[in-house]
Amino acid sequence: MEAPLLALREVTRRFGGLTAVDSVSAEIGRGELVGLIGPNGAGKTTLFNLISGVTPPSAGEVAFQGRVISGLRPFEVARLGVGRTFQNLRVFPNMTVFDNVSVGAIRGTGLGDALFSHGGQKARAISEVTTEMLAKVGLAGLVDELAANLSYGKRKLLEIARALAGRPKLLILDEPAAGLNDTETVELAHFIESLRAEGLTILVVEHDMGLVMRVCSRVIVLAFGRKIADADPASVQRDPAVLDAYLGAGDE
Amino acid sequence: MDPTVLLQQVVNGLSIGLVYALMAIGFTLIFGVLNVVNFAHGEVYTIGAFAGLLLITAAKPPLWVVLVLVLLSGGLVGWALERIAFRPFRRFRDEASLKSKAMREATLLSSLAVSIIVREALELKFSGEMQTIPQAYLLQNPIQLGPITITDGNLIIFGLSAVSLGALQFVLYRTHIGLAIRAVSNNVLGAQFVGINTTRAIVATFVVGSMLGAIAGIMVGLYQGAIFPQMGFEPGVKAFVAMVMGGLSSIPGAVACALILGVSESVATQFFSDGWKALVSYSFLLVTLWFFPSGIFGSKKEKM
Amino acid sequence: MKARLNLALVAGLVLLLIGLVAFKSSYFDQIAITTMIFVILSASLNLITGSAGLLSLGHAAFFGVGAYTAALLSTRFGWPFWLTLPAAGAMAALVGAVVAVPTMRLTSIYFAVATLGIGEMIYVTMLNWVGLTRGPMGVRSIPGITLFGAEGMVFSMVVTAAVMLAALWVVHRLMHSYYGNSLRALREDDACADAMGIDVGRLKLQSFGVACCLAGFAGALFAHTTGFISPESFRFGESILVLSMVVVGGLGSLYGSVIGAVILTVLPELLRDLGSWRMITVGGVLFFSILFLPRGLVGEVSAIDLIRRQIRHAPGASRAAW
Repeated sequence: MEAPLLALREVTRRFGGLTAVDSVSAEIGRGELVGLIGPNGAGKTTLFNLISGVTPPSAGEVAFQGRVISGLRPFEVARLGVGRTFQNLRVFPNMTVFDNVSVGAIRGTGLGDALFSHGGQKARAISEVTTEMLAKVGLAGLVDELAANLSYGKRKLLEIARALAGRPKLLILDEPAAGLNDTETVELAHFIESLRAEGLTILVVEHDMGLVMRVCSRVIVLAFGRKIADADPASVQRDPAVLDAYLGAGDE
Repeated sequence: MDPTVLLQQVVNGLSIGLVYALMAIGFTLIFGVLNVVNFAHGEVYTIGAFAGLLLITAAKPPLWVVLVLVLLSGGLVGWALERIAFRPFRRFRDEASLKSKAMREATLLSSLAVSIIVREALELKFSGEMQTIPQAYLLQNPIQLGPITITDGNLIIFGLSAVSLGALQFVLYRTHIGLAIRAVSNNVLGAQFVGINTTRAIVATFVVGSMLGAIAGIMVGLYQGAIFPQMGFEPGVKAFVAMVMGGLSSIPGAVACALILGVSESVATQFFSDGWKALVSYSFLLVTLWFFPSGIFGSKKEKM
Repeated sequence: MKARLNLALVAGLVLLLIGLVAFKSSYFDQIAITTMIFVILSASLNLITGSAGLLSLGHAAFFGVGAYTAALLSTRFGWPFWLTLPAAGAMAALVGAVVAVPTMRLTSIYFAVATLGIGEMIYVTMLNWVGLTRGPMGVRSIPGITLFGAEGMVFSMVVTAAVMLAALWVVHRLMHSYYGNSLRALREDDACADAMGIDVGRLKLQSFGVACCLAGFAGALFAHTTGFISPESFRFGESILVLSMVVVGGLGSLYGSVIGAVILTVLPELLRDLGSWRMITVGGVLFFSILFLPRGLVGEVSAIDLIRRQIRHAPGASRAAW
């Protein structure tokens, strides 16, 4: 039995007297498309930060590809193959679309490379993957545009391309449906499914039920820092504990 | 080391520490309200001292008149400073932009530019040399208190500082504008939503803060007997250090740390020659920035 | 293409400066050398402030470390220029690294004030460690630049120009490469760059080290071409002067920092009769640049634009704003 791609083992995070994440355990297998939902304040963001290395756990551990990653710095986690987007869209505003995406692929390309092997192998590899990902999200025509001038929707695509440029094994999307209307959400869902079809493992952290129920094969529900459900979308939608946590809020 | 000498240095240190404290309060008020570093704060101190000198040489009024007029000139400078170096950058009214990194950097540079212009203009007018305060006004008459000597200058500094702090407390906690200032410091958007005129509160903060700075300047001038155009630079930095040590948004913290700085500097002169004295404050600054991200007395509100 | 055009313009500028030799006046020669030295300082500061977004208010201190290293090694130990130059760069880079390590995780304005504090500490040390630096008396009789027997004012100009071009080449390569992209990502959003796999700490350290090394080279050139140095040349005011050059020319633009250096070195010389107006001019130029020419003359990033964009990124900001 293959080890899960991402494993959370009794992960806990306390901030002073407040327990934001309480002994959460879960697994994500290779190739799965999993959703992480929960009402506001449930601990989704903190859990996300625990996985990506922004904050270390107070107890428990996070393992990626069998290796413990809790306590590693964010860039180390990223280099191991975890890519992410941001809920509040953090593109690099004063850089072009191309340069933005390339940042996802640069990793440790260093001083020596810049000075002595200008246009060398590493640079070519970065250019290739950047172009590839821009084409994949459909932004190939805007390579020289400043990121700040892009519309909201295109910025979202830019972020995804940037995350993909690192050829991640696990892609975590942070509220990707935020600010999108129904049509756009459907398009996004198709896009996510196409990524999954290519073999990428995806975790969607969402507030919006619609997207999650549509694309995810499994849904993990958090409330008050604890995991209260972990099953297929249909079961989760019927789960009384989940309905209770959302206080009867059905479709968003 | 002889305990009376130590005690003497501590007293001197408290004096200078109180001056730093007055500056630090102005700094903290402005930082609390706008989340910006006012690089020109040291110049307000210098202007206070020079305004006092001009008044004394021109009209030779009684001391209290000089102090009042310096206070007013400080307020005026504060108002002008806000209009010139800070307001042009506040074109957008929401919290995100008001507290953004770019805003802080832009205003740091603009207030820095203004401070350079003011300093150099003063230097052009008065040349770099020390201007002495006429003998009659100097507060250097010694008073014996047991084993230590203080001057009436020390007493005036202690007294004036106490009065200033008391007045500040009064303004902040018992007047409308003080309430506005506190509200804006706490939550800019929230304050706007309840109808507080944030612009007026910001201007008021600059005025009050600069008044305190100007008073500090003239007091030091009277106490030390000589002033010079560059005099505001170091106290300005020390006020910043005190604010950072005190936890950025805490006035009592800033005051306490200013006193600590003053005493440390004073005591340090027993061990090092004068030239190295400046290292004391800078060392405190670096140690605080490195080891105490929330300041020594700070709340966790704002990280560096 | 744009990068190549800029480089050509810079090279043209250098030739122009060397052409001033035609005037056969030592006054112009000295200005040319001073300008080239400040071009190095401005370009190196642009690397950290314009590209990496680290606002440094103490750059002149590293300039000074390089100058003193070269001056002391040559006057006390007789080291020749070709040895003092690298030594100056290495020393300045070392001090820069020592400074960078503890200050790395400070955010913008705190980093700025920390660099201010460090710059002042270095200045105070220069002034008071009389045993080493001769304090306010400075170091005099520093030998000129001599290589393979060649020496003299013109030769000094050529050597300075060579070092300047090398420095510009280094900064150019770093800025216009994927490494430069990672620096700019640092400037735009360092937490995000971290999440994208960039070792933020190491990058800050490296860029700071390179910039300080270049400042050190400038210091060695300064020491050997003027023959006398004292702590007064390396104070806060000088750091601000260099910063103004970068701001005026444009943050993030190498071409701009060259232009800025030329303007702010030549302008005060032209106003030399009004000597003490120099710093006021600098202050005024800085202020009006920030306010009216926020992108500088050729810059990438402007303070006001950054503010405007921050709003669009703020959570809950109205979509209508776009």
